[in-house]
Amino acid sequence: MSSSGIEPESPDLVCQLDNVQGVVDALTSVRWKKQQHAVLELSEHGIVLIVEETACLQAKVYLQRELFVKYEYSAEGRPRFGVSLGLFVDCLNTFSVQGHSSAIEIRYPGPDMQLLLKSVESSDSCTYAEIRTRIPDTISWDYNFEPAGSTPLSFTVKSAALKEAIDDLEWPGSSIYLILQPSPPSVTFRGEGHGDLQIDFMCHANTDLLVAFHCDRQVSHRYKYKFLRATTSNIPSSVIRDNRGSKLTIGRGGMLKVQHLVSVAKPAIPHPHVDSSGYQQPSRIAYIEFFVKPEVDDADNANDT
Amino acid sequence: MEFTLSGNALKTFTRSITCLARIGNELAIQASSTKLTFHTLNSSRSAYLSITFKPGFFDVYTVFGPQMQCSVLLKAICSVLRTPIASIDHLTVLLPNPDASKVQWTLNCHNGMKKAYWITCDVEPHIQNLSLDRTKLPSNFVLRPRDLNRLFSNFQTTLQEITIIATNPTCLPPDAATEIGGKAVELRSYIDPTKENDSALHTQLWIDPTEEFVQYNHIGSPVDVTFGVKESKAFLSFCEGCEVDIQFYFDKAGEPILVVPKFGLDDGSNSTFDATLMLATMLMSQLYTASSSENPQVVGTSYGQANDGRQAPVQERSKGNSGLTSDQTRIWSDLSEQKVAMVLNMEEKEMRTIMSKGNFSKLVRCIYLKLEQLEEICLTFIMTFVVLTKILWNNLKAWYIWMVMLLNTILVTGWMQMMMMMKEMSQSCVFNQHLHIIRNTTAQVVL
Repeated sequence: MSSSGIEPESPDLVCQLDNVQGVVDALTSVRWKKQQHAVLELSEHGIVLIVEETACLQAKVYLQRELFVKYEYSAEGRPRFGVSLGLFVDCLNTFSVQGHSSAIEIRYPGPDMQLLLKSVESSDSCTYAEIRTRIPDTISWDYNFEPAGSTPLSFTVKSAALKEAIDDLEWPGSSIYLILQPSPPSVTFRGEGHGDLQIDFMCHANTDLLVAFHCDRQVSHRYKYKFLRATTSNIPSSVIRDNRGSKLTIGRGGMLKVQHLVSVAKPAIPHPHVDSSGYQQPSRIAYIEFFVKPEVDDADNANDT
Repeated sequence: MEFTLSGNALKTFTRSITCLARIGNELAIQASSTKLTFHTLNSSRSAYLSITFKPGFFDVYTVFGPQMQCSVLLKAICSVLRTPIASIDHLTVLLPNPDASKVQWTLNCHNGMKKAYWITCDVEPHIQNLSLDRTKLPSNFVLRPRDLNRLFSNFQTTLQEITIIATNPTCLPPDAATEIGGKAVELRSYIDPTKENDSALHTQLWIDPTEEFVQYNHIGSPVDVTFGVKESKAFLSFCEGCEVDIQFYFDKAGEPILVVPKFGLDDGSNSTFDATLMLATMLMSQLYTASSSENPQVVGTSYGQANDGRQAPVQERSKGNSGLTSDQTRIWSDLSEQKVAMVLNMEEKEMRTIMSKGNFSKLVRCIYLKLEQLEEICLTFIMTFVVLTKILWNNLKAWYIWMVMLLNTILVTGWMQMMMMMKEMSQSCVFNQHLHIIRNTTAQVVL
C-alpha cells in the first residue's frame, strides 16, 4: 500500500545490491516446490520474504538494509505484496552474469504496482525487468514463536552434518522424531518405517559437531519428513562449504525453528574483516528461518491435517 | 553375531557389498566361529557369488552360538553404505539372537554422528549354499583385472554373453605356428538368436595367452564356454579394487565355470577374505554342431538348476549355428577353420559324419512336428463339427443346413491351421534366416 492521492511519485523503496548471486542463493534455499507464492514486506530495517505451505511450514528470509549498497525507504507503514517466488528468483538470476559486476537496483512500486529491477554499472547494456505483484490474499500467519519454557531448548549443529542426516532419514519413509536429552547431552533423529534409522549427535569435547546445546529435560516431537527435508534440501553450497552452524530451537507446542546463515558477500573481493575461519561482518549475512509444525496424533487433535 | 570393522577392511567390505548387489537381490549371511559367509544368487539363477571373511578380517568378531544365519535385501545394505567411507570411523553389525527380526548396522562417523540402521531380516535364507570343487575343472587361466577390462572393452558394452574358446597351444603343428601366430585363445561375442537384434555387432578376438595371461593351462581338445558378461564385469571390478589377479577355472560347454581372485605369492592362505563366483555356461557348444538334440541334461555337477532361458532354445538352435559370417570375416573363418581342423586332428570324413548325424535328427524332429500338427487339425475339425451339430440340431432335416455346417467347419479349421502355420513360420524365420549360409558351409567345420 503505497502513498495514496496525487502526491508526487516517490517510490516506497529504492535499493541497490552489489552481489545478486548472494541474494539468489538465500532465496533459493526456501524453494522447496515448483510453484510458490512469496509475500515481501518492506520496512526501514530491510526486506523480509515469507513463504508458506498450508499452515504446516513457513520460511522467512531477512535481508537487512546493511546488505544493500543503497537503501532509500520512504513509505508509511510496511507495504506488503505478493510475487511468485520462482519468477522472482529466476529473474534475479538473469542479472547475475559470471565475471561481470552484477549490481542491480530494485524499485517499488512501479506505475502499476510492479517491482522494477534494473542493472547498473554496466556501460554498454542495460537489463530491465518488471515483475507483476499481487495483493497477498492470505494473511500470512505469524508463527508467533514462543519459547517452550523458562529455559530455551536449542542446539546448534554444523549445516553439512544436518543436511546429511536429513538426507539419510529418507530411507525409513516415515515421520521423524526429534529427541533432546539433557544427560548425556545428545540430539537424536529417529525414523521407523520399513526399516528403522536413528541418528545421534553426541556432544563430544573433541568434535565441534554439536555446540551451544541447551536442554533441561527430555523432549520428543514428531515432524513430517517432507517438511523437515524442505528446511535443508536447498541450502546453497556455500553454506555447506563454510559449514557454519545451523540453529534449531523447539518452541511451545513442539514448533521447530531452524535458522541458517547465508553469506551474500561478493566472493572475489577480499573483505578486510574476513579472518581465516570465514567470519564476516554480520551485515553481509542473510538470515533464513524455517518454522515447522509438529505432527500431532489424530486422537488428540481432530483438526490435524 | 556381532562384528566391527574399520579402515581398509571396511573398504573391502563395501566393495564386496557393491559386487554382491550387482549380481543378486538378496544376501544370505552365515556366521560360524571360523568364518562369515555372504552369498547371493542372481534372478536367472545363472550366477552365484560367495564371499567369505575370516575372523581376522574384523576388529571384533563374536558369534553367539555355533552358527547363525539370516538374509537381508542388498538394496537396504547399499542404503546404509551410502555414507562416504572416508567419513566412517567404524561399522558394527549386530544380530542379537537367532530369532531376531532385525539386524542392526551402526556407523560411527569421524565427525561425531552415530547412525544406527535396523534392517528387517529373514531368518530362513532362501539361497542354498553351493560349492564347486576346483580340482575337478581341468583348465584355468589367470590374468590381471586391467587386462581383462581391456579385452572386454573390445566388445559392445551391451553384450550379454561372451564365448571363450581355449585351445592347446602346444599341439599346433610347426608349419601352422607362423600363420596363426600362437593365438590359442579366442573371445567371441555370443548373440542369442531368439532375440531380435539384427543390428548387433559380432566381435571375434584372438589372443596369445603368453602375452595376455599371467598363467594359462589347457590340455586336450579345444573347448568353449559361454557365460554372462554382466556378472563377470561386477567380479572384475571387485578384483580390481582389491588389487588381485583374477583366475578362471573351466571344463567344457555346459559345465559351470569358477572365477576366483588369485592372491599373490602367498597363495591366499594369509588373506583374510576370499570370493568365489560360479557362472553357468551354455549347454550348446559353439565349436561343435553335434550336440544334444534330445532333451538337454541339467548342468552336471552340484550346481543346481540351470538357467531356464538357456535350456529352452537349445532344441531350436540345433538347426542353426553361429555360422554368421560376412565377407569381411570370411578370411578369418577360413583361417580359423584350418587351425581348428589341424588342432582337432580329425579327418574330413569324420566331420561330415557329424554333420549328417545332426541332419538326421533334424529330419526326425520335423516329421514329429508334422504329425503333431495333423493331430491338431483333425481334432479341430471334429470339435467344430460337433459344436455346429448341437447348435443346428433342430434344423438338421433340411439338406442345406448340412452344407452350411460343412463350410463352416472347413473355414474354422482352415483359419486355425493358418494361425499355427504363421506361428511356426515366424519362429523358423528367426532361426533360419541364414539358412543359405549354413547350407554352404556345412562342408566345412562351422565355428
